[in-house]
Amino acid sequence: MRWHKTTIGVLLGLILLGLGQRCHATENQRARELVDRVARLFSGKSSIATLQMRISGENGQRDLTLKIWTQGENALVRIISPEKDAGTAVLRIGSDIWYYLPKVNRTIKAPSSMTTMSWMGSGFTLDDLVKQSGLERDYSLATSFEGKRGEVPVYEYTLTPKPGAAVVWGKIVLQIRQANLMPAWQGFYDENGNLIRDLTFSDYKTMSGRLMPTRLVMRSTDKPGQQTTIVYQDIAFGVPISAETFSLSNLKR
Amino acid sequence: MSGRLVQLAWRNLWRNPRRTFIAMAAIALGYAMLLFVACLMAGLRWQMIENGTRLVLSEIQVHASGYYPSRSIQKTIGGRKGTDVSALLAAITADPRVYAAAPRVYGYGLASASHGSSAGVALMGVVPDQEPKVTVLNTQIVKGDYLTKLRPHGVVVGDKLAGVIGVEVGSEMVLLAQAADGSMGNDLYTVGGIFHTGLDVLDRNLVLMPLSSLQELLQLTPDRIHEVGIKLHNITEATTVATALQARLSKTLPVEVSAWPTLAPDLADYVQFNHGVTLVLFLIFFLLAVIGIMNTMLMAVFERTRELGMLMALGMRPVQVIGLIMAEAAGLAVASLVLGAAIGAPLLWYLQEHGLDLGGATGEVVSVAGVVVGHLWYGRQDFSAYAQAAVGLAVTALVSALYPAWRAAHFRPTEAIRKV
Repeated sequence: MRWHKTTIGVLLGLILLGLGQRCHATENQRARELVDRVARLFSGKSSIATLQMRISGENGQRDLTLKIWTQGENALVRIISPEKDAGTAVLRIGSDIWYYLPKVNRTIKAPSSMTTMSWMGSGFTLDDLVKQSGLERDYSLATSFEGKRGEVPVYEYTLTPKPGAAVVWGKIVLQIRQANLMPAWQGFYDENGNLIRDLTFSDYKTMSGRLMPTRLVMRSTDKPGQQTTIVYQDIAFGVPISAETFSLSNLKR
Repeated sequence: MSGRLVQLAWRNLWRNPRRTFIAMAAIALGYAMLLFVACLMAGLRWQMIENGTRLVLSEIQVHASGYYPSRSIQKTIGGRKGTDVSALLAAITADPRVYAAAPRVYGYGLASASHGSSAGVALMGVVPDQEPKVTVLNTQIVKGDYLTKLRPHGVVVGDKLAGVIGVEVGSEMVLLAQAADGSMGNDLYTVGGIFHTGLDVLDRNLVLMPLSSLQELLQLTPDRIHEVGIKLHNITEATTVATALQARLSKTLPVEVSAWPTLAPDLADYVQFNHGVTLVLFLIFFLLAVIGIMNTMLMAVFERTRELGMLMALGMRPVQVIGLIMAEAAGLAVASLVLGAAIGAPLLWYLQEHGLDLGGATGEVVSVAGVVVGHLWYGRQDFSAYAQAAVGLAVTALVSALYPAWRAAHFRPTEAIRKV
């Protein structure tokens, strides 16, 4: 009899333990899925997007119209307007970057470090524009807050780099709206936990059958009064793009 | 009375010429050594300062307040509107101590040749016929020509940079830079010259181009410059002139005028260190001189115990004995310094004219603390150090004669006379 009781106790314990872990696992997995989905919002197997970029700050204001093609690791960004910059294009194939400069009709290969520097004087980097989402690969994730930020109920996740991951940020905080599971705010911090720049998402619309924020505002703490706003005009996902698009000869076109 | 004492002392010195010559030789050689060291150290300081300032830095720089050291492209002199550059230059050169002044524009960018790889570069825009009055980068061209002989889109690059991006004289080069309005300035240039300074930071990074071309690339109006480089007639006045210019210019423009010790703190530290080393060497030589002189003076007094005793027996008072011996020491010191100067002068002349050859036949470039010194170590006349050394040695001679003089004053004539 005694033997039986012990077995049952052990079994019960094991089941409870397993359930707890299951619970934990689902919780963490849900967070992962959410963050992963948000990180992939603007990309797909392939995408073609047209967007407006407004850079405003103490130097006045500049408006750019960009067209972006992405497919897997490859991306092409072309400036449509203003006239002065029209035709300037950046091509990324894997980790190689080329610029095409129509004014001098030359293609130059840029150091890949340029992808993490300010793009065209904006608050965005080339990496921001054509994300190669490495979030789930490079960062580990923790739910840091659940509740209202301002008036909006959000899930807040804190992403910290995995040991040895080659990343720029010391910490990324991502707030996701509970109402529509859309990103609301993203903060980028340095190793000392200081906020370096933050991205605010708004104007959620369904584009190409996908609900997504169409307005992004980037601010940098070291450049107060300066901000860059991106407004997506249209975006199409999963459209077939010929391999020819991501070639040096097309870059010049 | 004292005149007679001096006469007596002078005669005493030459009554035993060999002893006096030995003493003189000790002091004179000590003095010559001090001259030699002072001359070389001053030469090194001078060469460091000259070479550190004359390549690109210049002796004094004028910036907009807050431009240095962040070097933000927006912070041009006079703000966004800029300033009347020729009026500013005229205001600077109005100071008679200023030899020349030249405006400059800076930027950062990416240089790329058609088929080579690209490299991040520092862009420096200068007025081709003004800049060579302030700095000497134009004399470091190893291939091609300086900007004065090039067309507006001709640029001059460092030899290492040329190697990295694969350009030669005549090659096309694209420069890409973030312009003042935030856009990506880009244009095509022709490499017209290649320079070699021996300083990696210049040879690997610097692209020199006409001021107006860089202003165009960076979308800056002709009134917008980042810096005025200034050369003085006499570099030792740099800090004084900088202070004066600061006071005068900042009445109308928010500017920051800095002399080279502020612009190149490493160099200033080195100069300070060099002064310290010179002082230590001086002290060592003084110590040696003191021992030598004291020894000679003691010997000279004790050898003459009998004679001094006789003088005292004849009525010379102890104070006069002290005076006599001190006068002898003074005479010895002056004669020695003259001899030392005579030995040192040709040495100093040689150092200044020909220098010490450090690199030997190889002609290797020697650089100290990031500054090219060249393989020849030239001396430079530092008369204040020479005077200090002379006064120091004379005082040393007198001080070291005090003890023997005091001893002699306490001789008892009756005993002293009997000493052989």
